[in-house]
Amino acid sequence: MLPAIGSAGLSIDDVAARLAATFDADLSDLRVQEPDTVVAVLEGGRLHDVALRLRALEGLTYESCNFIAAVDLGDHFEAVYHLYSFAANSYLELHVAVPRSKPIVDTVSDVWPAADWHEREAFDLMGIRFEGHPDPRRILLPDDWVGHPLRKDYVDSIENHPNV
Amino acid sequence: MSDQFATSAPDEAMALALRRIAESEAAGQGSEMAGLGFNQVVVNMGPQHPSTHGVLRLVVTLDGELVKDVIPVIGYLHRGKEKIAEKRTYYQYIPIVDRTEYVAGMNCEWGYVRTVEKLAGIEPTRRAEFIRVIMAELNRIASHQVGVGTFTADLAPLGTAMVFYAFRHREKILDLLEAASGARMMFNYFRFGGVRYDLPDGWVDTCRELMLQVPAWCKEYEALVNDNAVFLQRCLGKGVMTQEDVADYAITGPNARASGVAHDLRRTRPYSVYPELDFEVCLGQHGDVFDRYQVRVDEIRESARIVLQCLDMLPAGPVQLGTLRAPYIVTPPPGACYTAQENPRGEYGTYIVSDGSRYPYRLKYRDPCFVNLQIFPKLLRGNKIADAVAISGSMDLVLGGIDR
Repeated sequence: MLPAIGSAGLSIDDVAARLAATFDADLSDLRVQEPDTVVAVLEGGRLHDVALRLRALEGLTYESCNFIAAVDLGDHFEAVYHLYSFAANSYLELHVAVPRSKPIVDTVSDVWPAADWHEREAFDLMGIRFEGHPDPRRILLPDDWVGHPLRKDYVDSIENHPNV
Repeated sequence: MSDQFATSAPDEAMALALRRIAESEAAGQGSEMAGLGFNQVVVNMGPQHPSTHGVLRLVVTLDGELVKDVIPVIGYLHRGKEKIAEKRTYYQYIPIVDRTEYVAGMNCEWGYVRTVEKLAGIEPTRRAEFIRVIMAELNRIASHQVGVGTFTADLAPLGTAMVFYAFRHREKILDLLEAASGARMMFNYFRFGGVRYDLPDGWVDTCRELMLQVPAWCKEYEALVNDNAVFLQRCLGKGVMTQEDVADYAITGPNARASGVAHDLRRTRPYSVYPELDFEVCLGQHGDVFDRYQVRVDEIRESARIVLQCLDMLPAGPVQLGTLRAPYIVTPPPGACYTAQENPRGEYGTYIVSDGSRYPYRLKYRDPCFVNLQIFPKLLRGNKIADAVAISGSMDLVLGGIDR
């Protein structure tokens, strides 16, 4: 059974304080975005470890991975993980920088099954690879598509989709 | 044997299904009927199939009648909406949002408009807030009528009687939406800070009259199917989703509430004027196909109650901000924002990154159907192929949102 929504009775500032204390070494730039979201920056190499700990955090378990958004910021990509805790009824937004030259981060689909397709989508449209993903295929575009259209430097060409 | 009817090279999903069969056979977990000379078969259900309600393709591995494995294939309706957003101004993009989850266009528009308003610091007028809630709830009723109607039509023994009842009533609601916005489904009605038009003369009375009939409609739906032995046999205890599944797969909306998870963003993350309104969060107990159907019927009743309350509380005043030109040009300050709201199918969120220009730098949808679809392989495995149709119908997917 899941905990009742909001049963932990934590305010968003309590949640932020708890996260800051627990993940002192991992989360930086921690701030509260009204009304119910904590935003933080995380280093890519620590992602999988932190994900496991967030999933098992006593009293403030982040049970759900709501979605993952990939953003092209020019010199690097950013993967934004949006997590939800039922007990605290609050969201955690983790920003992970992904280098453009080597766009690889660890998968979290083993921690949150819901992350599976979001990672496939981020690969398909933005070209971020998720190390250890069980099924790293394209998801929205055809299998034989060339390139990743949501990148800002993507140039559309008939050669990118040979079967159309 | 399984590819004997293949006419061209299998695509990646098909190849994956065949590979998994080979692996399971190598591991000694092949067909249970191997001794009878049978084999596992891969069947493509969709993309053109009456019970997938759109261009969803399920690559189903069958062992006799049992579903061994399912690989959903999506993208047939992909129109690159997130890329399109980067080349349109915030204002120009509003009509395109309608076409994501197209049976609930009002709700989708609201989700997008709210995010931009939050980014740009625009506060809608109070009358507009009430009109928005009315439109969203009317659209929720219409959307659930599609969901419930087509779901019962999928269960073939019932014939298509129920779908006509549901669609007949839905048409009356679409008439209301058309009178207010000018369109049946692709509304283009929401504006930053308000809505496009005020309600026409006599609209409030017509709407109130119609909403008073809604409980009778629901009674009609329930009288048609709830005591039907065939219907119950195909629904009860089928496709059970536990609360852990709901959390693991981030299921939201009626599908989550059918499992007893009281996750309704109108209550858990209140927005607009919902805190002032009195309504119940409809819950199921078992999380099976029947509960998912029943929760939707209950929500139709609750939505009608919300609309009636809003009609009574509707304040006078403008429905748009300031001068006519004001809402056309929006330049939010640089930053990112995610807002979510309760669509008929679950949490519909929009994540927008702004670079301070007139165009969204990046727009990402969190579509409830896309997320809910992920649980299909787990839900369908081990069921009969006929139950797979019932289960997928009860999840009420809209492919426009999944593929974007």
